[in-house]
Amino acid sequence: MGDPDRRYFSAEVETRPRAELDVQREERLLGDLLPWAYERSPLIRETWDAAGITADDVQSMDDFHAKVPFIDKDAIRDFRDRHHDPYGGMLCLDPKMTEVFSAIFSTSGTTGDPTPAPYAGRGPSMLVREFWELGARPGDRFMHCLFTFRGPGIHDTIRGIGATPVFCDHQPADVAQVVRLSRDLRPTGWYTISGPMVMMLEAYAHDTGDDLREAFSSYRGVIFAGEPIGPRARRLVEEDWGLELFLQTGVGDVGAATECREHDGYHFWEDTCFLENLDPLGTEAVGDGERGELVSTTLLDKVAPLIRYRSDDLVRITRATCACGRTHGRVWPLGRKGDEVLVDGRSVMPGDVWAAIEGVPETSAALFQIVRTQREMDRLRIRVGYATDGRKGLDDVRTRVHDAVQAAVGVEPDVELVANEVLLRQGPPHKIPRVAKQ
Amino acid sequence: MTFGHAFEDAPAVWGIGRVVVDDVVTPWPAAQADIDDEAESLAPRLTALGLEPAGVVLIVSLLSQALHVVPLEKAAGKVGALYSSADATPFDAFRTASLIRQLEVQVVLGVDGGVLDGLEANGTDLAATFGGLTAVATVDEGAHARLRAAGLAPRSWVKLGPTSAIEAGDGLRYDAERWQVEPDPGTGELLVTNRVPRLTGCDRLRTGVRATAVEPGLLLP
Repeated sequence: MGDPDRRYFSAEVETRPRAELDVQREERLLGDLLPWAYERSPLIRETWDAAGITADDVQSMDDFHAKVPFIDKDAIRDFRDRHHDPYGGMLCLDPKMTEVFSAIFSTSGTTGDPTPAPYAGRGPSMLVREFWELGARPGDRFMHCLFTFRGPGIHDTIRGIGATPVFCDHQPADVAQVVRLSRDLRPTGWYTISGPMVMMLEAYAHDTGDDLREAFSSYRGVIFAGEPIGPRARRLVEEDWGLELFLQTGVGDVGAATECREHDGYHFWEDTCFLENLDPLGTEAVGDGERGELVSTTLLDKVAPLIRYRSDDLVRITRATCACGRTHGRVWPLGRKGDEVLVDGRSVMPGDVWAAIEGVPETSAALFQIVRTQREMDRLRIRVGYATDGRKGLDDVRTRVHDAVQAAVGVEPDVELVANEVLLRQGPPHKIPRVAKQ
Repeated sequence: MTFGHAFEDAPAVWGIGRVVVDDVVTPWPAAQADIDDEAESLAPRLTALGLEPAGVVLIVSLLSQALHVVPLEKAAGKVGALYSSADATPFDAFRTASLIRQLEVQVVLGVDGGVLDGLEANGTDLAATFGGLTAVATVDEGAHARLRAAGLAPRSWVKLGPTSAIEAGDGLRYDAERWQVEPDPGTGELLVTNRVPRLTGCDRLRTGVRATAVEPGLLLP
């Protein structure tokens, strides 16, 4: 359809001038999404009514910032429980409308019952831009190794760039096939790899002696998603296996943001969502590039639209044009607000101890949890997974983890060692909960 | 070009799934026409399981099974029903239970031993979880036996090379107009041959399945 050598999948959208992005956002939000949601979403209606506003009161972005109330995960759960509505009051259409919907998928459910999500998708998603950025092109094969099988969104999107998906499981049992099919079918793009997947591949290479650099030599880019990646794992994947990683993060349940070839922040698409970056303890916007809480609003989703959704994610955001030429904003994830612990007045987030734990050979998979019974703790408690066949030398491992963490964050930790498998069982295949209540 | 209006032309090969026989994996390229034709073929199987228009079928599977699962997803649409998805892993078993409860699912396809392990590890009562369904179909004999032991009457979903056979009341049903299925005279193992064009054809392909061929389209496990 288009020139396969073009720089962007959609130059007109991806490099749209800032002023035009702003106009488009206002048109979609004020002229369409807000009146639609207020009219049809029971949660939005209830929340706005309680705040004393209607859709007619929001005529400008200034009105939006000043008047539109926030929602969060607790509000959705509360509505669900009060009204016995599995959709938490978000739904604007009858999910049984088979002329609109083809399926009902669900959220991850890592923090409770998965929330059903009716699917009205028809064809590829905006991830075509990311898949193009990886370097995959029409006629190529593309490794489809998402951590879950929920609907056609990804494989339709791979076909949306003219490539053919190769289906593999993000599971230990399928690692050998991922390697084999990479070698035999020569895919150019891969969606996705994760920390646990890196661990599985490393174990596979260790056990078999297989040369992953050779097996993976056809890839032009691989999207890493699920969690942050530590420096050791990154070196392994990029330097030893020769893969260029494009990190991806979710943005407030309204989409995903992914690195470009500049690897300077994760692009989010401002024709699909509006992201605010606010004081985590208040309602004021923080400055460009400053630390704040991500608050998301969809510009596309008319099925279950999130409007001013406080995500609990701490981020930096800039809207400065990227060196790649894209004008859309970039975000840097810093952790979850609810993951922070204060020990002796010192803030500790999972990301602060990641490299220290990864740097100890026996705990290099960086499977760990901060035990957080409350935000302010007397002691920093960390549960750390280790890889070894026996318990010989665990005291030594514990001491080295202890010292590394203390050196990294300046707080003395209590370290509990458990086998890697114990922690892997707690998560979906691509990540584990990084904070535990006990 | 703007998002939502223009994409690259679809590839000639819809996707590369796999056929697995006795743990041997064979990559299996399929065309869009193959997937659409399988969906057409499988819609009556879903109806036979009791799926009704506006009903919900939950398909429990893994991505590597896309060759067999996507036609079933599309077949649900041909019935006028909706489909939902959960992963066939012990960890994701909670989703199977949760969606059955929340979505008033009629039919569940794809339950295996790992899913039952996950449900039981969570303390989920199998009879209570699956007992209210119109039908639940398992993909391995162990899961089938465990559900029977729980007092249920599960059906079977069996992969015959690149196509599927699904148990109706009288046995395993497959589409005899599109597929020829015959036992190997020596071993009794079923062999499958495509009778209509497919991107990847098969000629007396081993299936790893043993069953009695009663008549074209009907097998007895």
